Order: sequence, then structure tokens, then C-alpha cells
Amino acid sequence: MSLIPPPGSIIAADWHRCADSKEYFSKILRKMRRKNFGLLESPVMPPHVAVDTVHYKIFISGKSGVGKTTLAARLAGLNIPNMHYETTGIETTVVYWPVKLRESGRVLFFRLQLWDCGENALRRFDHLLPSCKEQVDAVLFLFSFTDRMSFDDLSNQIAKWTGPSVGRVVKLVVGTKFDLFMHCDVAERDVRNFQETWSLPVLRTGGEVSDGLGDVAPILNCLAENLWHQDCVTAGSAGHHTQQETGTLF
Amino acid sequence: MMLQDGSLQLLCLTASSGVPLFTRGASKQLPFSVIGSLNGVHMFGGGQGVVLTCCETAGGGKVVWRVFQDSVMLIAVSGGRGGGGGGQGGAGSSSKEEEVRLQRLLENVWSCMVLVLGQDELANVRNVERLKRDLRSCFGLIDQLLEDRQEGILGNLTHCADSLLPPNPALLQEAVENFAQSADSEFGCLIVHGKIAAATEKWWRLAPQEVVLLSALMRSLSASGSASCDYPVFLPQGSPTVAHRLLRFQLLPGADVCVLCGPTPSLHRAESGLVCRFWSPLVETLRDCLAVGDRCLPGSVSLRPDVLALLLINRETRRSVSLVRTSTNHPLGDPPLPSKARCWELLKLFYIFSTTRYFSQEETLGLEERAQRGNTEDFVLGFSHQPLQCYLVTDECKSFGLQTPQHQLFLLIPLSVPTLALRTVATQTLSDITAATAF
Repeated sequence: MSLIPPPGSIIAADWHRCADSKEYFSKILRKMRRKNFGLLESPVMPPHVAVDTVHYKIFISGKSGVGKTTLAARLAGLNIPNMHYETTGIETTVVYWPVKLRESGRVLFFRLQLWDCGENALRRFDHLLPSCKEQVDAVLFLFSFTDRMSFDDLSNQIAKWTGPSVGRVVKLVVGTKFDLFMHCDVAERDVRNFQETWSLPVLRTGGEVSDGLGDVAPILNCLAENLWHQDCVTAGSAGHHTQQETGTLF
Repeated sequence: MMLQDGSLQLLCLTASSGVPLFTRGASKQLPFSVIGSLNGVHMFGGGQGVVLTCCETAGGGKVVWRVFQDSVMLIAVSGGRGGGGGGQGGAGSSSKEEEVRLQRLLENVWSCMVLVLGQDELANVRNVERLKRDLRSCFGLIDQLLEDRQEGILGNLTHCADSLLPPNPALLQEAVENFAQSADSEFGCLIVHGKIAAATEKWWRLAPQEVVLLSALMRSLSASGSASCDYPVFLPQGSPTVAHRLLRFQLLPGADVCVLCGPTPSLHRAESGLVCRFWSPLVETLRDCLAVGDRCLPGSVSLRPDVLALLLINRETRRSVSLVRTSTNHPLGDPPLPSKARCWELLKLFYIFSTTRYFSQEETLGLEERAQRGNTEDFVLGFSHQPLQCYLVTDECKSFGLQTPQHQLFLLIPLSVPTLALRTVATQTLSDITAATAF
């Protein structure tokens, strides 16, 4: 397992709040809301600002009802379903996210394609999981703060994605329904212990969707940072500086 | 009355033992004892050699039963239309319309269940608890059917595919054919604003119900805003026991293409290798197609100003186009015209009214069902020939129905248009559309 970079070490954290990011973020917004891109579309920058787009495939894993579809919709700025319906096949959602690399100041568009598949469908149809695994770059392991079992099951889920057969895959853990603290079933201490055992980033989501990018930025930045780091490690060209820093931290 | 006016509840039970599998619809659920009685009375009839299909409550509510595959019983309970149907010929006929609507609903719900779970799991219930859990996967589509709020979508009722006639059909047709072929499939379809804009020849050979059902599934997938899907689907008529894969791609928001295929290609491969190759050159054509919008007809068709709403069915291809004109300040708007939503409602009611009483529907109804309905006016049965036209004047608007060997046209026309002109309006509208689009 490659070490995870500390947050903000590779890409500019909270860049969406900086003035120089505005012209990039405006390309993924329309009328104050996130823009929905069809497969034939992508954010278009003026010709003199050349921005590369990097493509990644991310699989969302987690027990039925944990909030996989909702997370995908939230990250893409789509309408969040107000009723829970099982996803009866694979649904993918595309998120464009501009990112500034700290060291070089270079800006990239991350095209994150989130793959969401209902647990029951995975069980009923054998061909779905291999399809989700094909050329996957990252896995988001979801648990719900209101469902202890989904948290306890994380180790099993993660184990399935570890080992030589899987190859290099970025792993992040996301706790959903963090806002429902009245029904919270997973203590902060448990999350900390888990984080120490697995040394994986654990992020939180839940609550009302705000208009801004603030509630999705931490997850998307963390994902982008880890994906970029993995690519650098794979290419054997990870910045000397970055490697040292992660080395001393863990 | 069991339910409030206008509300609708769907019950699903095992046919043999009456174990409730699920209920959907009305927020206030019927008490268990009522559900038990509804099942009991049907079972009692069965014991006497009688099939109970429909009954009406004193308060104007309706109950419709149907058993599928000797395995699953569906019951629809409606609390009456709250007088809403009164405009179309009084309470008596509105209850017939309601019955037809509920029967169609049960058929569609069953088809949804087969689409998602396959017939085997439904017909041979081994483990009721497991079936209950698996049936939850169908709720999304079933709720969509129960709400039935999508304006401009009539296919659930007509079992004709809601279509949109694009300004440049040949280009799109070719692209769909080539795209499907490259995905090892003969079944491909382009859906714009939830309506079929182009489809491969084989797509039209699917059973009409299947075409409508797949369109409904595509609409719900498209509405979520997701970029692509790989959905296992069983075809209720063509392949009820073996699942196919429905691959769907959102080309532009509002424009989706899908193919029905076997084990290959994978979603990832089809998306990265085929979508851009076949569709990138057509972005502008697709945008023109999106611009057609609710009208469903290209700009080359000019309609008479006195057409308020229309539904045109091609009886051979089982396709339909429909539109309601949004004109709050219509030149003929005195007395005031019905609202847009009301026009869609009236169009549906007039369709049921005409097809149950006068126009034949061999294409859509099974023998059994036709016998069940038995709504046809007695005088029609007394003749060897078929009525070709019918009209109805209510206090909301005038309606005219027209039937030719190839088409059925249903029109809503403002009250201010003289009744004697209705036939002219209808025949001219039919030729306006068919001449310009070859529909």
C-alpha cells in the first residue's frame, strides 16, 4: 500500500475559495448550480488557457441503503433523490473538478467518473462487479454513521480490494449521514481507531446540500490528491519532496 | 369509501396464500383487515368458479384485481377521481375510464416486475421473504407508474411509443444503426426529452409494451442525471427468463442513447471506444433535436391555430406523437381554455373514451382483455363495419377522434370552434403532419 499524502501537500486545499480559481470553477457552474455535462461535453476554457483533463474511474462500495447514489449525486451537484430506491444496475456519474498542483502551480481538470451499483444487483448478476473493477483507479468505501453494521463491515470490504490481483487502487473511506447525530451509531473514537489501523483517509458527508462547493470540496480534493499521488508513484516520478514529507508523517 | 378522492393504492400479494408482498401509493395505507378482505373476496369468487376483476364502491372508488402467472395477485384501489372525469360524459362513463386505466396500470406494474426480476423469480416463489426484499428493486419504476405525472407521456396508457420527430431524421437513424451494430447489438434507440427520436428497425419489433417500458426506464435513468448505465433487464414478452444488458449513455442532458446487448461490450469499453466516435460529429444535430422540445414535431409542420392538443398514433409502427399547446392568451380563449395539465388529462380521457367505445384496439389488447372490458357501445356491435370518426362536446372543450387504416388522431379543440368544423380541423391536421413528416 503506497502511503497516503497528507491533505493539501500536493494540491492547493480550498482552492475554490481563491480568486484565481474563479475562471476555472465558473466552467463547471451554471446559474449558481453545478452544470450537468453529457458524455459529449466537457468544460471549455478559452483557447489561450490550455488545461489538461485527467480521467479516473472510481467505484463506490458499500452496503445497500448506505447512500452510494446520494453521494454520487451530491458530488456531481445533481438533485439528490428524496426517496431511497435500490439501484438495480450500474449507474455512473461524471464530476469535473479543477485542481491546482501546489508545486508547479499547474491547473488540471479532474474528470472523475463515479461508478455506483446496487448491492442486490451485484449479488444477483455476476457480470456487474468485474465490469466495475475493470481499469478502476479508486474505491470509495462507504459506511453510514447511523448503521453500525455498515461500519463493522468495512474491513471485509477493504480486504476484498487488497492484494496483488487488484493492483494499485486508491482507497478512501466516507462516512455518510453525519448530520443525523441523534441516531449516530458510530463513535468518533471508533473512527479514529479505524483510521489508525488502516491508515486510510476517512471523510464525512451528510446534511443539507449547500449552494456552494464547500461541502463537496474536501472529498473531491482528497480524491484528486490521492489519485494524482498514485499516478506519480506509478510513473516513478513522484516529487522527491512529496515522498519525504509522507515518509516523515507516517 | 376506502381511500381519499384521487388517491391510488397498489397491493401485491402472493396468489396462493395471500401473503402481502408490498403496497405502494397513497400515503395512508389501507388497514390490514381491508387488504385481507379484498384478497378474501377474490379467493371466494375463485372457489365458486368466478373471476372477480373489478368492483365499484358506493363512494365512487374502484377496485381492480388481476392474478399473474397463478403466482402474484395485484390489486389496485382508487378513491375515485374526485369528480375530475365528470367533464367527459358524466359519472357513469368516468368510472369506466377509471377501470380501463387501472387495468392498464396492473399490466404495466407486472411488466415492471418482470423487467427487473425476471419471470422465474415471480412465477415460482420459493422464499417469500427473499422475494419481498428483491421486489424493492422495482419500486422506483412502479412509483413512476402510479404517479403518472409526466406530461406528454401517454405510452403507459396507449402502449404506443411516445415519439419525437426530429428535424433531421436520416442522420440520427444512421447513427443509431451504426452505433448499435458496433456494440454487437441490433437493438438501439435514441431518446430525446424522454421520447424516442430514432431507433433501429429491430427495436420496433420488440413488443409494444416492451418499447414503452424501456422508454419509461430510460426516462427514470435519464432524470437522475447519471452519465451512463449498465442495467440488467428481462423483456416481459421477448425474454422473460434471460436478462439482457441495457447500456445507456447520456450524450447531452436530455438526449440519451441506449442499446440492448449480450455479455459484450463492457460499459467501460462501449463508453470510451464507441460513444464519442459515433456521436461527436452529431452534437449540433442532437441540439436541434433537443430544441424541438415539448412540441414533438419539427418546425416544418405548421398546425392550425384551433388545435388545442393532439395525440396521433401510427397503428402500424405503434408509435405516437402528442402535444398540448401552451397558449394562455390563445386567440380562441373565450371562454377560458383548460390548463395545460388539464388538457393532458382530457386527452387521456378522450383516448380511453373513443377506444373503448368506438375504435378498435386489436393491436394492444389480448382476447381475454377485450372480453373483460366489454365497454363497447351496443350499437357498434350490431354493425359489421367500424366507426371512423367520433366527437364529444363537453363544458371544457370539444374533442374529435378520427381513424384511418394507418392512423388514429385524437384532438382537443376550443369550445368557440363550431362543431360542424371539427371534422375539417381533424382531417387537415392529419394531413398537415403526415405530409411534412411521413409519420
